[in-house]
Amino acid sequence: MSRGPMRSPLAEAMGLGSSKSGRAEWWAERVTAIALAPLTLWFVASIVATSRADYTSFVAWLATPLASGLMILLLVALFWHTALGLQVVIEDYVHSGFKFVALIAVRLGCFALAAVGVLATLRIAFGR
Amino acid sequence: MDIEAEVGQAGPKPRPKSPNIQIYRPQLTSVLSIGNRITGVALSLAAVALVVWLSSAAAGPQAYAACRGALGSLPGQIVLFAFTFAFYFHLCGGVRHLVWDTVHGFELRAIYLSGWAVVALSAVLTAATWIVSFQLGGRG
Amino acid sequence: MIVEHSDEPPRRTLLKRFPAPANFKVAPASRIAKGRTWPAPAGATRVKAFEVYRYDPETAGNPRVDRFEVDLDDCGPMVLDALFWIKNKVDPTLAFRRSCREGVCGSCSMNLDGVNWLACTRFIADMDDPATVYPLANLPIIKDLVPDTTHLSAQYEMIEPWLHSTTPEPQTERLQSPKARAQLDGYYECILCFSCTSGCPSHWWNGDRFLGPAVLLQAWRWLADSRDEAKEARLDTLEDPFRLYRCHTILNCTRTCPKGLNPGKAIAEIKKMMIERGG
Repeated sequence: MSRGPMRSPLAEAMGLGSSKSGRAEWWAERVTAIALAPLTLWFVASIVATSRADYTSFVAWLATPLASGLMILLLVALFWHTALGLQVVIEDYVHSGFKFVALIAVRLGCFALAAVGVLATLRIAFGR
Repeated sequence: MDIEAEVGQAGPKPRPKSPNIQIYRPQLTSVLSIGNRITGVALSLAAVALVVWLSSAAAGPQAYAACRGALGSLPGQIVLFAFTFAFYFHLCGGVRHLVWDTVHGFELRAIYLSGWAVVALSAVLTAATWIVSFQLGGRG
Repeated sequence: MIVEHSDEPPRRTLLKRFPAPANFKVAPASRIAKGRTWPAPAGATRVKAFEVYRYDPETAGNPRVDRFEVDLDDCGPMVLDALFWIKNKVDPTLAFRRSCREGVCGSCSMNLDGVNWLACTRFIADMDDPATVYPLANLPIIKDLVPDTTHLSAQYEMIEPWLHSTTPEPQTERLQSPKARAQLDGYYECILCFSCTSGCPSHWWNGDRFLGPAVLLQAWRWLADSRDEAKEARLDTLEDPFRLYRCHTILNCTRTCPKGLNPGKAIAEIKKMMIERGG
């Protein structure tokens, strides 16, 4: 990014200045991670436990308030954490104009996927 | 700092940049870090699969059976196994990161011990999950 | 397998470099061409080969790697001694920075066998055969092993590494308890060799905006100083998704510090202070 020839090294380093933000995203990534630790372990344990179940008993299990509630919490925390993580990855590696397209796509995509997942869970919980 | 492009003169030849990833030695620090990132990106694909799977369950027994069939196939099982390892690696690596965020475990000895622990624990937990799953009679 | 101190030389690892193509994302002007071989003098018995990055700004051509066969019986024990031997006995045009030859000035930092370190504190005996000597990673090269650290110095200047105070100067010294002074231990000793910053993958990809471990360690040095009164301004300067938060705790920095300091820990302290002031 050059705003003029023969810019001083200090001006190059200063760039556009500090955006005075970044703390909140870092913190949100950690909080969602802490939430995800027990939720994902519950999920994996549940998958293993219900791996032999047929469709009806599986849906009956997922429809219980505990299972559907935890699944919704898992979806929210998972896609929030995923959106933050992918945002950091894109910012690291993509420096062209495509960066903003990618960031928007990831954010909207995660929101949409979370919504679809939550809706599917609610449909099962309230009897399809 | 491309003065030539701005000012438009053919000045002294541009300085080369010394090689970085082309020659820098992979160490436990950088390898586990990129591993955490790769597993994280893989898990974002797993998250998509999770939503597809939930939607198939909400759609009805036929859709669900199709989804289970795909997951139960050989490529499906391989993908699930990879997702399992990615999950445990990212989880253990994530816990290691959270400990660092409390400003603990930064001495080199602790960094290396915790690093190898992440690798070992991920492998053990992945194997344990799959063994238990097969004991209970079939995965997916 | 377990590294306890950063001065342990890199062990025989599974891979000497990441499995990326040799010229991955390398600008044409930076691609390394084949260099020449300078054989050992006749009669030398203990010989070690050194593959050294060379670049001549005065002639056309890309950087290259020359192979020097060094007579170990005629040269001191450290890699810097080998470089001097090459310059004095074989090729006087070899350029490298050096001063104290005892690991306190930071001039001779370079990439030895794939990791950044000081040439004067690395034993030749601990190097691979052939030993590889490259300049500090990811920096514009002025000549041979001499990198241009202008941008790194500018990033350092940007964090204002001096004592800020609005309280009028005291008549005698500024008081600081021994406990408060101890907060600076492990941070004030930095010799600004930039081995850490040059070895940080995040700085490789975003070094134009990410400050890097050396500068952030010094930023923490001033944040930790009880006599400094500009914590708010310092934290405001740092709170940016790129300046501070490109650090993903990769920890190549702590592994490579030739003085055994811990930039990774310093950065974690800054992030912790950010959270403390935020809520």
